[in-house]
Amino acid sequence: MSGTLQLFHWEPNGYFLKPLIALHEKGVAFASHWFDPTALEQFDARFPGNTESALQLEREGPLLVQGATVISSSFFMLEYIAEALPGPDLCAGGALEHYRARASGQFLTALGADVSLLGCARYLAPVLRGRDQAALSSRLQAVEPLERRNAWLAFLDGTYTEEILAKVRERLKFPVGRVEQTLAARPWLAGPAYSIADIDAFAMLRPLARLVPELIGERQTPRIVEFLQRMEDRQAVRQALALSRSGKPHEAFVPGAEPSRWG
Amino acid sequence: MLTLYHWEPNANSGKPMLTLAEKGVEYQSHYLDLLRFDQHQPEYLRINPDGTIPALVHDERVLTESTPMMEYIDEEFPGPPLRPADPLERWRMRWWMRFFDAYFAPSLSMIGWSVFVGPAARQRDPRELQAAIARIPLESRRIAWRKALFNEFSEAELAESRRRVGFAIGILEAHLGAHSWIAGDSYSLGDINGFNLGYALPLSQPERCNDQRTPRIMEWLRRIYERPAAKQTWAKGRTQMAARIKLLERK
Repeated sequence: MSGTLQLFHWEPNGYFLKPLIALHEKGVAFASHWFDPTALEQFDARFPGNTESALQLEREGPLLVQGATVISSSFFMLEYIAEALPGPDLCAGGALEHYRARASGQFLTALGADVSLLGCARYLAPVLRGRDQAALSSRLQAVEPLERRNAWLAFLDGTYTEEILAKVRERLKFPVGRVEQTLAARPWLAGPAYSIADIDAFAMLRPLARLVPELIGERQTPRIVEFLQRMEDRQAVRQALALSRSGKPHEAFVPGAEPSRWG
Repeated sequence: MLTLYHWEPNANSGKPMLTLAEKGVEYQSHYLDLLRFDQHQPEYLRINPDGTIPALVHDERVLTESTPMMEYIDEEFPGPPLRPADPLERWRMRWWMRFFDAYFAPSLSMIGWSVFVGPAARQRDPRELQAAIARIPLESRRIAWRKALFNEFSEAELAESRRRVGFAIGILEAHLGAHSWIAGDSYSLGDINGFNLGYALPLSQPERCNDQRTPRIMEWLRRIYERPAAKQTWAKGRTQMAARIKLLERK
C-alpha cells in the first residue's frame, strides 16, 4: 500500500456518505476531492478512473484512489477501508458477522437503487430540466457506457411516471421491514458490534426517511428511528455530514444502481 | 454439522459447491429440483423462509446468500485460502463477483430462460404452474418466475440482455488479458463465481465465446474445469445442464 489516500466525493449522502463516515471512523488522513457529479465532472478525461469505475453498477459514486489503484463501488470500498487501513475495527466478530455484513450490503443494494431513483426524481430532474437542454443532451450523448448515459436520460425523458414512483415507494416496504426485523434481533445489523453494514444502511435509510416519511417513523419503524439517531450521534458521522457545502446533503442525488431488470 | 441445500452445480448453487470442494470440506448434500419447485415446499421453507437456493446450514447458522456464503466458507473452514491476501486484490475480486451477479447473470439467465427453461416448463399444466408461483414467498421472486415461465419478456428486454451479454464477454476477455485470474495472480472466489456463470458460454453464446474470438476466456474456463474440485463438483450434477461442462475438454 503506497501513495496518498485520496477520496473523490460529492455531498455526504447515499453512496458518497459511506466512505466519508468510514474514513472518519478510522481516523486516517486522506485528501478530499469534492466534485459535482450533476455537472458531469466525473466524465472529464482528467478524472481518475479504470474499467471498474467506468462500469460500476452504482453508476455515479465516490472513488477512492490508493496509489495507482482506483477503488469504486461503495460497499466494497467500505470493506477495503475496514480491512486495509489502521484504526478501529469496522468488521468486528467472526465469519458469521462478516457474512451478515456482506449479505446486508447485497440485500440493501436494491433499497439503495430505489432511494436513488426517488431522490433523483424529486431533486435531480428539476435541476437537469433547468439547464440548457441542447448542451446537456450533447454532453450526455457522449457518456459511456450506455447504461450510465441512459440512467441520466431517464430523468429527462419522462421514463419515471408517477405510477412507477408509487410502485417504487410501495416495494420499499419490504427491505425497510427486513431492516426493522433485524434490528429487533440484535443491536447492530451484523451482530453485537457496530460495523460497515451499519454505515452502509445508514447512508441509504437517512435520506429515505425524508423522501418517504410514511415508511420510516416512531410508529412504523421504531427500531430504525432509534438506529438512525444512534448513528447521527457518532462523531465520525457528524464529521462526515459537516462536509456538506449545500447544507442539504439529503437532497443530493445522482443516478444510482439499476432496479432489477427481472421486475 | 454442515448441510448444503442446492440444485445442479450451476449458477448460485454451484458457487458454494465448488468452494466447499476446493477447501476439501465434507458436507451433507441435499439436492432440490428447482424446476419442480422443491424450494417452495413447506419442509424447505422451514429452513429458508424466502424459498431461495442454495442454503447452507452450519450447526445453528443458516446462510442463504450464495456470494457472501462463499466468503463465509473460506473464512470459517481450513483448507487453501480462496481470497487474496492483498486488500486491493480482494476488492477487485468482490467488484467482479458483483459484476457477474448483478450485470452479467441476470441478462444471461433471461436469455437462457426464454430459450431453454421456459419452453420446457410450459409443457406442464398451466394451473399447476400458477399454483407453484402462488406458493413463492417473495413478491420479487414471484414476478421473476411468472416472467420466466410464461415468457413475459419483451423483445426490447431480450435485445438489451443480448447486448449486455456481448458487452460483458468483451469486458471479461479484456480483463483476462491483463490478469491471469479474476482477482489478479491467484485463483480465488472470483473465478469460482465466474465459472459457475460462464462455463456453458461456448455452448449458449457460440458466436461470441469461442477459441477464435475469446481465447483468454476459453483458456480460463478450461484451467478451472481441469481442477479436481471442479470435476468432483460437476460429477454431482443429475441433468444435461451439468453435463454441458464436458465441452471444455481439450481436443
